[in-house]
Amino acid sequence: MALRYRSPWGLLRNPVVACAQLAEDAPSPHAVLFRHTVWLALLPPVFAFVGAANFGWRLGADEPLVLDTGQLALVSLGYFFALLAGFVGAAGAARWMAPTYGATEDFGRHLGLVAVVAAPLAAGAVAHLFPHVFLNLLVLIPALIWSMYLLYTGLPVALGTSPERGMLMASSLIGFLLVAVVILLGVTVALWGAGVGPLLGL
Amino acid sequence: MSQAQAAAEGASPPNAGATATAAALASYSDPVVRFLTACAVAWALAGMAAGVWIAAELVWPGLDFGQPWLSYGRLRNLHTNGVIFGFGVSALMGTALYSVQRTCHVRLFAPGLAWFCAIGWQLGVLAGGASLLAGWNAGKEYAELEWPFDIAIAVVWVCFGVVFFGTIGRRRIRPIYVSNWFYGGLIIVIAMLHIVNSLALPVGWGKSYSLFAGAQDAIVQWWYGHNAVGFLLTGGFLGMLYYFLPKHAGRPIWSYRLSIVAFWAFTYSYIWAGPHHLHYNAIPAWVQSLGMVMSLVLLAPSWATMINGVMTVAGAWRKLRTDPALKFIVLALAFYGLATFEGPMMSIKSVNVVSHFTDWTVGHVHSGALGWNALITFGTFYFLVPRLVGGALHSVRLANVHFWLALAGTMLYVLAMWGAGVSQGVLWLALDHIGDVRFGFRDIMASMAPYYALRLLAGVVFLVGAVLMAWNLWRTVQGRPTAVVHPP
Repeated sequence: MALRYRSPWGLLRNPVVACAQLAEDAPSPHAVLFRHTVWLALLPPVFAFVGAANFGWRLGADEPLVLDTGQLALVSLGYFFALLAGFVGAAGAARWMAPTYGATEDFGRHLGLVAVVAAPLAAGAVAHLFPHVFLNLLVLIPALIWSMYLLYTGLPVALGTSPERGMLMASSLIGFLLVAVVILLGVTVALWGAGVGPLLGL
Repeated sequence: MSQAQAAAEGASPPNAGATATAAALASYSDPVVRFLTACAVAWALAGMAAGVWIAAELVWPGLDFGQPWLSYGRLRNLHTNGVIFGFGVSALMGTALYSVQRTCHVRLFAPGLAWFCAIGWQLGVLAGGASLLAGWNAGKEYAELEWPFDIAIAVVWVCFGVVFFGTIGRRRIRPIYVSNWFYGGLIIVIAMLHIVNSLALPVGWGKSYSLFAGAQDAIVQWWYGHNAVGFLLTGGFLGMLYYFLPKHAGRPIWSYRLSIVAFWAFTYSYIWAGPHHLHYNAIPAWVQSLGMVMSLVLLAPSWATMINGVMTVAGAWRKLRTDPALKFIVLALAFYGLATFEGPMMSIKSVNVVSHFTDWTVGHVHSGALGWNALITFGTFYFLVPRLVGGALHSVRLANVHFWLALAGTMLYVLAMWGAGVSQGVLWLALDHIGDVRFGFRDIMASMAPYYALRLLAGVVFLVGAVLMAWNLWRTVQGRPTAVVHPP
């Protein structure tokens, strides 16, 4: 039987089984990175590029904000690398926390867990095809709830720790991820100020 | 284990043989704690319900029914005063009076005065809230109450200090445990801030003018405003954390030394951070830059405390099986980490230029207020209230449901406000091809209705959780007298 976690869709179809198999197989970090992580991190920027090129970003005002293709490609590329750094950084943070919570220190399993947890969000990024901020929130919030559910249920299985310690570790990781999202917001805003992105009166 | 940690653990004091008066050795003054806890829960419901109502008004403006006292401008102040001074301060007073007795192994100093503070505070918030609805307003954010209330608050607060420090003064354990440093800092700094910022010239019962003018008034106001966030909503609740977390976990703080270093670093750096509320305003640029730098410095003590808390819980994971309240504290620490990172980041001028005057700020405040203050208090109450009556929590299952509602409500709130705030930041500043402002203020605000509807939903979810808690705690204490506990 093909292992479910070997394709991004397998992660979505049966994540807890994917976590169990992840724990059993202990794949190498390279395998997870190139088989899953890169592709999952590629989905949102590609959707965002296609959507923004065709429709422009709708932030609520009547006219959409349209960027020229060169700027858009730059922003999308930045988005891709930010997501990739987020994936690897989250896995790194998880491995750093692992001894505290009695979890495995196998980096491949940490990267795999991050891929499982991020899969609903990456799939939800299909909403970027129509870049209306509120519509994106409406689609991504349920995806986020699903991701958080996967984090709490999948973490103890994938990383081989007790449910109680897994609960604590998942909460610590949520703290880390919230901070990562805020950093992304802050960096984005600072880049706008530096002239990358929309034309602002700064 | 240090003596101070031993105190928090309830172990016998090393100098138990020291002379102690009969009064000090009488049973702990817990009925006043019970009263304050009940008031805090009532204020949580009232204050949060006011918040939900004004959130609904931003979606359906007609909900004020043409009544001035139901207008957003008046109810918003009732909401902030209700949750900060009603819910927050009642919870802080109650937990401070509970923990100071147990960390000093003596009964409260002047229990009658403690009752005066407890009842006086509730009357002050109640009458103050009514005055806000009537339209009395000093025009200073988080210090809206007019001068008669300011004087009453100062008197009650100083009495609170007398009870608290009087209890510490006759303690039977020499070291002062770290929670008392934070509660003590809260009492001293809030007294200083409140009295200085409220200095005003009365021109009638319901109207006064600040003694400070113009930019100076703004600087004093945000020196007060930010340090109220700092020493009340952060420092005070850290006192709660440092006492109740080791009790929950059944083990000492991970690093007691780190907690003391964090206290002094926190106290030194917080007091300078206020000017970041006034970036790009008519105050000297160096004052703004100083406020920004000190806000960034603040990250270090804030995260030292977070790490201390997380590591303390990490060693107590077995308790999660039996203690529903510990989950709240774990999550509160995660949101504390978020809020104390986001705040310094938003104080950076190049970020603030976009985030200021947007709902991002409102989201930031609520990631702290809901995610940190409310969750740590809920967790503490689930621990404290059964012990106050010497029984068990009525329903562990209901507490677990509350946990998920609180998490969902907070996340929804923060996400809705991030979406709204960042959109507003871009739209305010967007230029057209000839360099004119591209979008009108009214159009931008009209387009925010969907985000405000999402925020309303978040508020309702959070409030439902709080109602479940109130019911659960009511059933826990119903018909049970306050347990009588003597100092060891």
